[in-house]
Parts: sequence; C-alpha cells; structure tokens
Amino acid sequence: MTTRLVRVLTLAGNTVREAVRNRVLYTLVFFAVALIGTGVLLSTLSYVEQERILQDVGLAAIRLFGVAIAIFVGVGLIHREVDRRTIYTILSKPVSRTEFLLGKYLGLVATLWLQVAIMAAAFAVVSLMAGAPLGAGHAAAIGLIAVELALVVAIATLFSAFTTPMLASLFTAGLFVVGSLSRDLRELGVHSGSHVARQVLEGLYRVLPDLESFNLSIQAVHGLPIAATDVWLPVFYAAGYSAWVLLLAVVIFERRDFR
Amino acid sequence: MSQDSQEVVRIEGLVKDFRPGFGLRARRVLHGIGFGVRQGEIFGFVGPNGAGKTTTLKILMGLIHPTAGRASILGHDVRESEFRRHVGFLPENPWFYDFLTGREFLRFYGRLCGVAAAEREARIDELLGRVGLSAAGDARLRTYSKGMLQRIGIAQALVHDPTVVFLDEPMSGLDPIGRKEIRDLILRLRQEGKTVFMNTHILSDVELLCDRVAIIVKGEIRYEGSTDDFLAGGERETELVLAQVPPALATLLEQRLGARLSGLGDRIEVRVAEKRVGEALREALAAGAEVVSVVPHRVSLESIFLSAVEAGK
Repeated sequence: MTTRLVRVLTLAGNTVREAVRNRVLYTLVFFAVALIGTGVLLSTLSYVEQERILQDVGLAAIRLFGVAIAIFVGVGLIHREVDRRTIYTILSKPVSRTEFLLGKYLGLVATLWLQVAIMAAAFAVVSLMAGAPLGAGHAAAIGLIAVELALVVAIATLFSAFTTPMLASLFTAGLFVVGSLSRDLRELGVHSGSHVARQVLEGLYRVLPDLESFNLSIQAVHGLPIAATDVWLPVFYAAGYSAWVLLLAVVIFERRDFR
Repeated sequence: MSQDSQEVVRIEGLVKDFRPGFGLRARRVLHGIGFGVRQGEIFGFVGPNGAGKTTTLKILMGLIHPTAGRASILGHDVRESEFRRHVGFLPENPWFYDFLTGREFLRFYGRLCGVAAAEREARIDELLGRVGLSAAGDARLRTYSKGMLQRIGIAQALVHDPTVVFLDEPMSGLDPIGRKEIRDLILRLRQEGKTVFMNTHILSDVELLCDRVAIIVKGEIRYEGSTDDFLAGGERETELVLAQVPPALATLLEQRLGARLSGLGDRIEVRVAEKRVGEALREALAAGAEVVSVVPHRVSLESIFLSAVEAGK
C-alpha cells in the first residue's frame, strides 16, 4: 500500500471511529429503525397491499434518515476540524490537503454505509416478520440508496470546505430536494414549447444531480424486473459526479487559509 | 541577510495580507519579514499579541498561504507536504480528538507520519513516559487536564522523531512544575541535536532556553540575533537621575542621545546607552542640571523587549 493511501485510510478510519463513539448518531439510527418498525402499524391501516406499504415506509426511512445523517455530519466535516483546530496538527504532518479531504469523505461514507447496513438489517427483520417478500430487488434498492448517500456526502463536503455548517446544510438540503426533482425539470422543458426554456432546463438537468436515478424502491416493492443497467449506470454516474464535486472541493480547500 | 548553509528554517520577504470580507480593504499583518533558524538551536520568536507570531508559524506549517515572499524548512518550500515527516508542531491551546485515548492518539499521528508499526508502539511507550503520561495512556483525552493535553500535544509533535520542532506557546496552561518539565524536555531536544522554534511571550523562558531570538512587532522584525548579545546590549545601559533639568536638556537627551526619560517628582530618570553616558553628563552639567546618581544597569530582556515594542509605535 502506498504511503498516501495509508494516510487517507488512517484519516478515514479515525472519522469512522469518531462517528462510532458519537452517541447522537446512534439516536438517529435508533429513530430510523423505530420508523421502519412503525411500518407494521401503518400497514394495518390498509386492507390491501399491507406488505408494500410496510416496505415503502421502510425504504423511505432508510433514505431519509441516511440523507439526514449525511447532511448533519457532512456539513460539519471540515468546519469542525478547523473550528477545533485539530486540522493544525494534521496538516503539519506529511498530509496534503487533498489526502485530508479524501480521508474525511471516505470515513463519512463508510460510517453511513455501516448505518445503512444496520437499517437494512432492521428492514429485513421487519419484512420477514410481516411475511413480506424479500429479494435481489430490495438489495439493489438499498444498495443504490447507499450510493446516493455517497454523492450527497460529496456535495456536503464541497460546501463544508468553504462555508459555515448552517449555510452548508441549507445548500446541501436544497440541492438534495432539487436533485430529486431534476428529471421533472427536464420534462417541464420538453413540454414547455419554448426552445430557450428547453435548453435552459436541459442545461440545469445536466449540472444538477439526478437523484431520482437512484430510486428503485417502486420496482423493488412491486416486484418489477430491474435491469443490470438500472443499477450500474447510476453507480457510474455517482462515481463521476462525486469525483467532480470532490475535485471542486479540493481546489477550494487548497486555497483556504486556516486562521 | 545571507543564506546560512546550516539553516533549517529560512524566511525571506514574507508578506501576509488578510481581507476581512468582500469589498473590504486588505489588512497587512506581515511586512516583508525575514530571518533564519540554525540547526541545533533553540530559537525564540517573541512579540506582543497581534504582532504576527502565529501568522508566521501558520505559514511555516502550511496552514495559511503567504501573499508574497518565501518560507522554507530544511530547504523545502513550505507549500510541500512530504518533507513534514521531519517536522513536529504543537499549536497554541491545542484541542485534540477527545474520543481517543492517549495511546490511540499517538498511534494515529504515528501512522500519518509513516512510523513503521514495529517501532511505533515502543516509541509511544517511550514518549508517554517522557511526558509523564504513562499511567494515563489508556484514558480518553476528554478526561485529561489542560496540562496533560499540553504534554500529550508535545508527545504527538515528537512521535515521528522529527529534526525540527515548532512549539507555539508551549508553557501555556502549565503550573510551575509542568513548566519546568517542559523546559527540561526542550533542553533535552537540543542535546539530541534537534532544532526547536518556539513562539512565546514568556520572556523568562526565552532567557533560560533560547540561543537566539527574533523580536517581531506589528509585523516587522525589530531584532534578530543571539540572546546573549541582546542581553549584553542591555548591560551597557546606565540610569542617571537628574534634578533641575531645563526643557531644552530633556529634548536634547531624548532626541540626540536616544535616552528614555521618566519623571520622578522634581527629578527625572534618564536611561541612556553606556557609550553615551559621558556625553549625557557633560550636557547635563553644562545646562546647569544637578546629577543625583549614576547607576549602571543590566537591563532585563523584558525591558529590552518593551523598548523594541515602544520603538515600533
């Protein structure tokens, strides 16, 4: 293993350790598991498709709590290090700013994936107890939620690299909402009848993240077929988009003064 | 200033401007400073609050970027990072990852510096003993006192056995016994051949520890040289107490002879460089003043420092 990789992994490991020892995150995961459990109660309100309601609620809980944790922790990822001056001793070691940023990012992604695994286990237990079907579609849906969270963390890291946690959380949450609707924006342009509006909205769609591409919950819950490209294309898209966002974060972070 | 081949730190024409906000005029905090730190010495970087000490140190540590000028450590531009495996740093009032134990904390920094696993644990044991924290190595840092944090901070600065160590106010928050322990540790670092760069405002520590000093006031270097020379410069100062001093004499002493005057009722105390004492006495007698006393003074570093600060106002 190269020394650069060792440093990045050391920083990532420390970020995971910090999260594991942070009780606030346990509370969030506890609420997510509780919400998945309440799907059982919600499903009893309906006479039909009880298993589907249960799984819809469960997958939505995993996604929303995952995004909440990603924003909650992600926006303070860099700011906390600067504010508490822990970054001073780290950057005085043979650690470049790029390695620092990547280490923090990968550490938070690993933490989130650990939490998604806990929530997925709760989802599986509740589904089995309710007699709801479980299959590869559910695994693909939860896997893409995990990939989507990695992209959201990249966006949170970008904003965390240059602004306060309050603004960074507003920007990230805003981009998450807009990103979830970016396909609708493009559709709006196609049906607008105006060439300019279509070009502008198409341009916006290409710049904004397309988070809807990570949503396989309908296919999973309804047992619809999922093509391999429905999984791999979003994975490649997330990798490319995250890489660009992190590159921008690095460029900004390299220029910063830590006063 | 010529480049010394034995220098481990070199700063040339360093300028730093801070912009308080968009559209606001930049504030210059370093005005083209320059100095060097030689191998194996304890170098004191001294100045009042806001003089630019921490800004200079942060530039050296790569935490802020200079507006102009050059800074290098061990011949490497400070914007590089790989050479930092030979550099140790303790920031002022450090805050560390308090969820880690002392041992985990040192292991983390050891890994970042590429200390091989085989020697890492032995090094950690040695350092914990050296800073008096062997018994607290497995306790989380959130349970440490301020003095213990300062000591574990010094241990992290040394975990990779660096060639040059930068300490920002290393005695901050320590009781007298703790200060003595850290002083002894710094002296031991010099014995081991390491170079120590120390930001401090505690002048007694400078007198006790530092081979050379640089004094910075309002972003400008007022003095760079050996501590002994600096103090010897002070020994040549003499205190005259004069009575019946006409205003013209006071002006002459201040402006022509560079003396410092302070009032003592109807008498005035005049502090003048020893080489100018004869001339000052002749002028005083010629002006009809009465010479009450003449006392050679060994000026403390503190008063020299204050003079340097006053000269900058």
